[in-house]
Amino acid sequence: MEEQVGIAWHRLISRFAARRFPEAAVLLQDISRDAALLFRALGGDHGVMVQAGAQSSHGARRSLLERLAGSGFKADLAWLDRQALRLPPLVDVFPDRQLNRDLYFWLAALCAADPRPDQPWLARNQAAVLAVSGDFPGLAARYGRLVAAEIARRPPISRMAPDEARQEQAIRDALQKPGSVAELPAARRPPHPVLLWLRPELPAAGKPRFGARPEPASQAASALQSDKKRRMAEHAEMPERKGGLLLFRPESIFSWTEYAKVEHETQENEDQDLARAADDLDIIAVAQDSKSVAKKLRMSLDLSPAEGDGSPLEGNGMLPEWDYRSHTLKPDQCRVNTILLADALPCALPAHLKRDQQRLRRQFAALQPLRQRLKAQPEGSEIDIDPYIRHLAHRSGAEGGFYLDQRKRDRDLACLLLADLSLSTEAWVGDGRRVIDVIRDSLFLFSEALSVSRDRFALYGFSSKQRSDVRFHTLKAFNEPYGDAVRGRINAVSPGYYTRMGAAIRRAAQILERQKARERLLLLLTDGKPNDADHYEGRYGIEDTRKALIAARQQGLRPFCVTVDQEAHEYLPHIFGKDNFIIIRKSSELPARLPLLYALLTR
Amino acid sequence: MTVTSIARAVRVPSLIPRYTPTGDEIEVFELAHQNRLPVLIKGPTGCGKTRFVEHMAARLGLALYTVSCHDDLSASDLVGRHLIDASGTYWSDGPLTQAVRHGGICYLDEVVEARKDTTVVLHALSDDRRILPIDRTGEQLEAPPGFMLVVSYNPGYQHLLKGLKPSTRQRFVSLAFGFPEAGLEGEIVAGEAGVDQATAKRLVTLANALRSTADHDLEEAPGTRLIVDAAKLIAAGCDPRVACRAAIVECLSDDPEITRALMVVVLAIFGD
Repeated sequence: MEEQVGIAWHRLISRFAARRFPEAAVLLQDISRDAALLFRALGGDHGVMVQAGAQSSHGARRSLLERLAGSGFKADLAWLDRQALRLPPLVDVFPDRQLNRDLYFWLAALCAADPRPDQPWLARNQAAVLAVSGDFPGLAARYGRLVAAEIARRPPISRMAPDEARQEQAIRDALQKPGSVAELPAARRPPHPVLLWLRPELPAAGKPRFGARPEPASQAASALQSDKKRRMAEHAEMPERKGGLLLFRPESIFSWTEYAKVEHETQENEDQDLARAADDLDIIAVAQDSKSVAKKLRMSLDLSPAEGDGSPLEGNGMLPEWDYRSHTLKPDQCRVNTILLADALPCALPAHLKRDQQRLRRQFAALQPLRQRLKAQPEGSEIDIDPYIRHLAHRSGAEGGFYLDQRKRDRDLACLLLADLSLSTEAWVGDGRRVIDVIRDSLFLFSEALSVSRDRFALYGFSSKQRSDVRFHTLKAFNEPYGDAVRGRINAVSPGYYTRMGAAIRRAAQILERQKARERLLLLLTDGKPNDADHYEGRYGIEDTRKALIAARQQGLRPFCVTVDQEAHEYLPHIFGKDNFIIIRKSSELPARLPLLYALLTR
Repeated sequence: MTVTSIARAVRVPSLIPRYTPTGDEIEVFELAHQNRLPVLIKGPTGCGKTRFVEHMAARLGLALYTVSCHDDLSASDLVGRHLIDASGTYWSDGPLTQAVRHGGICYLDEVVEARKDTTVVLHALSDDRRILPIDRTGEQLEAPPGFMLVVSYNPGYQHLLKGLKPSTRQRFVSLAFGFPEAGLEGEIVAGEAGVDQATAKRLVTLANALRSTADHDLEEAPGTRLIVDAAKLIAAGCDPRVACRAAIVECLSDDPEITRALMVVVLAIFGD
């Protein structure tokens, strides 16, 4: 009872203190695509995604109510880093819904323009406001309305100490007449956060370390909770202490300062509210222990990308990797180990696929390459002598139909199907089936279909354990016949490790390039983003994959991606290009759609 | 039959179509014509390739035979074929043969779309032999000095598998067209559509903003033609936002989520 009263009081006072307008709230997820396109339209980098940012502590004086409620330490601000454009997950600071929406677009535009990122906070933001409102009259008009609302929202000057009042006045002047304020007057406390401006720069984060090889299972996809909010994270050592904490969580996240709080929250709410617990932390420290526990909260952490060791690997046939930070293609970064599933037992097609198989065989028989010579056509490249002579002899009948037309359908095609076999494919998709089962069925049906249409094809799978062990499974090489041996190998694939997509694509491109065919199709079948257990994460992996695909296109190959990741539209257009991928809404439809898609692609 | 419908022979027009050069393309084209070299024009949709060829044909006083190539266009569509009427068979020249016989510019728009067998016909015409062999009639036509072969293609959305072969590409003098620089494009838009400079400038800002989303959100960047169309609607009294939606946004994508996001960009420029 006591506890419930406490909670009720906390909610009530928090609501009063926050001065928010939930009825006018706008969620990032509703406008993120629009904001992302606006960001790109105004010159923002195509490689960054729009993501919810963590709240930032501002250190400014709080109102009495906020102090009573114990809230108001943090504010939702926007910023741009190498990985993403970070926008507040929700905006409800203004009473008008339109204004809250406009704030999102304004912040996206500001991040895209930002002409003077090296300047101090005040000068930088004024320059950015001038740049945006100069070029975009529509945004300038909205900025005017936003400034009026922001000033109405800010704490009144009359109640401030003289030094803070001077500072606040300067900020208001800079908001109203951007470019007019050169310097921020000093005050004991930092100013109240300005929601219309970019976040002030933070001090640099801790340096990440690598070395210990994490257990592959830490990529477990069976997350109980998942949210898309980014949390500031830094790498830290796992504290040498046994206790309740280790029960807590996998990616094992805590720092000494926040240690007690994490433990407390989790115990109280059990699994319920890990997300809120994580929100309460300023910075989440990620310890690199080698134990992995089933992940309870699936979340993205803003780890600053690790440098890795980057030294070239010894040996022949090493593959390069693209480092977007230095814009260099580093040679000899990845070792690809080809694995032939030699001990797989030959098997027949699984019984549950028999019906699909028959349907596909019929459909694909129609795709067999053949040369057609159409007789007695109303138009064509040559005269069809027979009907013409008949016509002359009989002097009868209708005009027309004296031409021969050649319809040649020579499909000279080689297709390589590359399947993602990383551990994330072990996730369940419902009906007691896992992603890997879907991928396996797709491989089966795809092979059945292609063996009928007589196109040359090969099947490979990949996973990776850091750059020294990119595992490339040969399921069927181009020169192998499709039969029970190959079916046995498809049957034997099992998920494991991570997704170093760039290296796998480079290797597949090497194999496909050796095929002499007019059309060469590289079909990638995946369930998510590129990632690996080292610095191959986030934008690094995305940019490397993109480079690998650009190289493949230059070799005359045609890459196409089929994914079951519902958020793929955030990053796949950048990697594959707008029309070179499809997202399958229900993974279970993949087996049926893949062969049909293939028919469309190669038409 | 279809032979006449695919070609549009434009006799020398009395009026030279307006064209604003963005570089030295006019000089290069004239020199290529003097030296009897074929020309290849590459550039994105709506950047003025066809207008340029029409302008040059009028300027040089040449007839223009335009053929829009499609994936069923075969060599005999260009060269000609035997037709039949009451009196028997007779030969009918295709647009390319007509241009070679009578002189003039034969302009093959989107040449990569055409069937492979067309390149064979073009090869003999595009090197220094300048001949067109017609095996069906046994003729071998030699191109007169007034004949010029011009082809264009769009490197952006052409099928990756259907690029021009190097052996074809290297026979042509190539002109790469892009979108004009913002100030010049503003003048073009203002001149073509009759809108004021301020509106033209806003439209060009919009076009350039949308162009920077190409490949990621859009299949292809909006061309100057789209911008001119929107400007014409605005000049006729249409609300700029309505004009931009109808003439630009809806032409770029069919995906409702994308068009909604594109309208956010439109409002960033034309909002209130």
